[in-house]
Amino acid sequence: MAQLFQPRADAIFRFVLWCIVLGCFVALVTAESLSHSEYLTGRNMIQAQPTEFSHFHHVAGLGLDCRYCHTQVEKSATAGMPPSHTCMTCHSQIWTNARMLAPVRESYAQNVPLRWTRVGRLPGYVYFNHAVHVKNGIGCSSCHGDVAKMQMTSQPHAFSMAFCLSCHQNPQKNLRPQDEIYDMKWHPPADQGKRGKALLAQYHIDTSGRLMDCSTCHR
Amino acid sequence: MPPIDPASEEADAVRRLLEQAGERPSWRALERIADTPAFDAFVRRRHLSVTPMLAGTGRRRFLQVMAASFALGGLTGCDRDASSGYAEIVPYVNQPTGLTPTEPQSYASATLLDGIANGALVTTIDGRPIKIEGNPDHPWSRGGTDAFMQASVLGLYDPDRSQAVMHLTNPSDWDAFRGSMIGRFGALQANQGRGLRIMTGPVTSPSLVAMLRDMQKAMPEMHWHSHAPVGRDTIYEGARQAFGKPLDTIWDFSKAETIVSLDGDFLDPGPQQVGAAGRWIEARRNAARAGHLLGMHAAAPFPNLTYAKADHHAVVAQRDLVPLARALLADVSGETGAGDGPAMEWRTRAVQDLMKSRGRSIVVTGAHADPALHALVHRINAALGNLGSSVIYTDPVVVQAEPVESLLDAMERGEVSCLLILESNPVYSMPADARFGDRLKHVPLKIHAGLYQDETALRCDWHLPLTHPLESWGDARSPDGTATLIQPTIAPLYGGRSIPEILSMLQDTDPRGGHEILRSYWRRELGDDGFEAAWRDALLAGFVRDTAFQPQHVAVTASGAPNPAPAADGIDVLIRPDPTIWDGAFANNAWLQELPKPWTNTVWQNVLTLSPARAAKHGLKNRGLATVKAGGDAVTGPVWIVEGQHDDVVMVQLGYGRGTLGSVGSGIGFDAYALRSRLAPWTRHGATLHVASGERRVVTSQELEQQGGHDFVRLQPIGAKPVGDDTAFTQPTLYNRTAAESASDGRAWGMVIDLDACIGCNACVVACQSENNVPVVGEEQFAEGRSMHWLRVDHYRDDTSDHSHQRFMPVPCMHCETAPCELGCPVEATVHDHEGLNLMIYNRCVGTRACSSYCPYKVRHFNFLHYSEAPPAIQARRNPEVTVRARGVMEKCTYCVQRIVKARITADIDDRPIRDGEVVTACASACPTRAITFGDLADEQSAVASARKDPRNYALLGELNTRPRTTYLAALVPSDWKA
Repeated sequence: MAQLFQPRADAIFRFVLWCIVLGCFVALVTAESLSHSEYLTGRNMIQAQPTEFSHFHHVAGLGLDCRYCHTQVEKSATAGMPPSHTCMTCHSQIWTNARMLAPVRESYAQNVPLRWTRVGRLPGYVYFNHAVHVKNGIGCSSCHGDVAKMQMTSQPHAFSMAFCLSCHQNPQKNLRPQDEIYDMKWHPPADQGKRGKALLAQYHIDTSGRLMDCSTCHR
Repeated sequence: MPPIDPASEEADAVRRLLEQAGERPSWRALERIADTPAFDAFVRRRHLSVTPMLAGTGRRRFLQVMAASFALGGLTGCDRDASSGYAEIVPYVNQPTGLTPTEPQSYASATLLDGIANGALVTTIDGRPIKIEGNPDHPWSRGGTDAFMQASVLGLYDPDRSQAVMHLTNPSDWDAFRGSMIGRFGALQANQGRGLRIMTGPVTSPSLVAMLRDMQKAMPEMHWHSHAPVGRDTIYEGARQAFGKPLDTIWDFSKAETIVSLDGDFLDPGPQQVGAAGRWIEARRNAARAGHLLGMHAAAPFPNLTYAKADHHAVVAQRDLVPLARALLADVSGETGAGDGPAMEWRTRAVQDLMKSRGRSIVVTGAHADPALHALVHRINAALGNLGSSVIYTDPVVVQAEPVESLLDAMERGEVSCLLILESNPVYSMPADARFGDRLKHVPLKIHAGLYQDETALRCDWHLPLTHPLESWGDARSPDGTATLIQPTIAPLYGGRSIPEILSMLQDTDPRGGHEILRSYWRRELGDDGFEAAWRDALLAGFVRDTAFQPQHVAVTASGAPNPAPAADGIDVLIRPDPTIWDGAFANNAWLQELPKPWTNTVWQNVLTLSPARAAKHGLKNRGLATVKAGGDAVTGPVWIVEGQHDDVVMVQLGYGRGTLGSVGSGIGFDAYALRSRLAPWTRHGATLHVASGERRVVTSQELEQQGGHDFVRLQPIGAKPVGDDTAFTQPTLYNRTAAESASDGRAWGMVIDLDACIGCNACVVACQSENNVPVVGEEQFAEGRSMHWLRVDHYRDDTSDHSHQRFMPVPCMHCETAPCELGCPVEATVHDHEGLNLMIYNRCVGTRACSSYCPYKVRHFNFLHYSEAPPAIQARRNPEVTVRARGVMEKCTYCVQRIVKARITADIDDRPIRDGEVVTACASACPTRAITFGDLADEQSAVASARKDPRNYALLGELNTRPRTTYLAALVPSDWKA
């Protein structure tokens, strides 16, 4: 009886095996890079908003403090979004007829809230608290980036668990004194190592690993 | 989508649709294919109401019912996700001053049971009430809660609540109602109100009473009747027999040294429970600190929570209660020749103790006892000199309206031309022999206002949806008379109006709102001077200060107690409100339906309870059906055998057997109202018991469990050697145990549960369910042992012929320092944190359930199905601070980690340590007897650390070296206690 498999069958078999191995590898690499991609993490993605609000204009241009609009940031888990009334404190006086501001005026006149699209995405099972971060030396720009440079707001970091843990594991590299929390231009100074240590003690930050407990962020 | 019957018209329609699309139909996929807009429109055309689609679906389906999404389109806004996956942020247009979005806010308000108030703090987040806490400043409830209070927040959102004005079972609206009523009500007013009758439930609200009295002034021939299926009528009738006028009784346990209970129920569910239990345990604790026991002697025909907490017990027949009280009265009055009688040994002891503490004792009976027994108890208290010291009498808290009897006669005679039924369901809850439904036919105009489209609503011309107390203005009195204010925490969800608003709509040309009505009443009461400040203060406090009733100085009337005819032999049927759904008012509340009923631990239905001997005599077993006949009335239900019940007593609970109510409460259990008669609402004498064929599934939370010889509940005879020990924490080990123990930042959370204080009321269980988004699983899943309660209350019993020892033991997660579950988990989904919490990481959990089999306390619960699926209205109730768990995930008590984190963050922001008492778990804060202490064990000064040093402290299964963070204090028993 003739041989069922020719000698080259062996080669084909090896080739197929290698293809499977390579295929798996390629799939893994693709999945891994996809999971970090802007497409999936929403990093640097710009969303359509009811009106083209520019942080660049309001923060860098006019010098508004973050807390003028995000009033709750020092006392609540969420930073707070300004009610239409806050916009109208200025815009009932200036740019009163600007087409861009029509949705805001309408909202205020009709008592219908503006519906903004969320830019920073955090899964529902993560419980982040703004107040405890800004009160313990973490500035806005550490997570939100230099908002003052953004015409349309986007999220420069992917809010992945790795991003949170990189700081929870080693907070001193991002700690700032209280008067620099709202400084969008803040970069770690050259002696951050030393200053960070001092700030750790000043803010009474627990370095035992408590910050790495699951229960710190998940409930 | 429910399955489609292949033979139905819908199926034909689907086939036609599919033919048009050129596809071959496939039955398997029919439902899915049929889910098209065209088909949807067809269903809507054919079924004007969606109700028929839901007929026959199980209760479990309730949580998945789509009907709510039809009806509740508006609420879907609460969870709006753009299709891109980017959620919206919707800020205010004008943010109210003092409000921080996403932060919880508390409002002082009240919850009602039979019209009687308990002070509550309602926690709202973003305008949604999500949790009820006790109001610690309230003079009556003092921060305690009961299961009804805790569950009332679910009742608010119930999508089965009535959502539209109905006229002759057709949807209508408020304007149509008012339009049609203006002329007719005007005619009634012109006619002095002749023919107008108003029927309410029990009313304590001062403002509503004032309104009704004003109406009576304007229309002198109008009548106001009050119908209370449970109510306090027997209490008031008993006081009338003893003192000549209706009175309420308040017990001052702090002045008592002995309590004697003749079928008493002050610790049982009811409006008095929270306040009475709180005062009782305070006195018992003080006595124990002074080295003696505030003992309680209890004699009863069937066991209840009060009986369970007594120290000396006697089981007596229902018909022997009055003779027993009579003998006690003779004994304490020093009359000789009281002679032998029932429960002789018990009586001798009780009398001994009573005589030792004359003027410092309390004799009680139950709210549903015979009025003659109430009168005798008043006389015994008078003879002992307790009146005015340990037993205080006040004006009745429920305002006395005309009895329903006169209404029934007037209806029969056709004298009622317009009947207004306000928050009452007489068609269901009247005794069978009142034939209310039949009499109703003689009334030309019948208007019903209620929370549900219930049995009465269907027989009335108009049905008006009422507001829930959490969404309306109002007031009500607590058992001590304190006028408690009710303020809305949300705008009416389903377009309801409150009773005062409806009354105003009927008679005022310019209808007033609930707020205005309430304010104007209290402005009259408090005076114009400084009213705004006083009103603001009252709203902040939740009650109007100094409105508790003053003690009445009363003396028993000279005439002796009437001698009731000796009851016939045979079986006495005792009819009592259900411990979790009461008179049926909470029948559609899934939390309360799934709450194990104290003593039987059954859920989702009522049972006939029998003593073991009685059951054996008839050859009945648990779950077997039996029929009880009394007079011409009969009910059939499953049997449940209860140790310690008298052989001649059968117990049934009200509230079940509902035909029309909602997807939770309809069609379960049997209707015990059928056994009631107008003359004997609580007891039917001379009943007979018959075996019926068949069995019914009765689900219980506590059955077929092995204890392996362990005695989990320890008892501490007062003054004896301590039974507590710390052996659980000194077990030898080769392991390095410092890792778990040394809380790096100095905190070690722990809990101590005082078994002497636990009365088994289950408030903690519902509080936990409410705080932690614990799902309801339904009867079928519960029967599989898949209940999800993070905290359960175990009931241990030890009944013999001469004693009955009952102990309740709340069992949350023990948060073992060396947790066995953590060894079992292959994916580290359950781990310890630095403060000693045993965490459950839902995202890591792959559902092996190994942890649960490793757990010696069996406190872990697995989501076998999508238990958390619910209609949008129910989702809106959920606590946003706690993750909602998905299918395939293990879950368990977290020590309310969200509350710990919140306290930690607050303290961190203020740069101070967490104070003792700053973290209170939901169970601890709900407990009316403060049985649960929670806090930081590492802080020597903390309440929990000192509770742990109590010599009664012991660990459950400590010998396993689990080193549990939750420990127990042994229950107290008298010094001469024998096992």
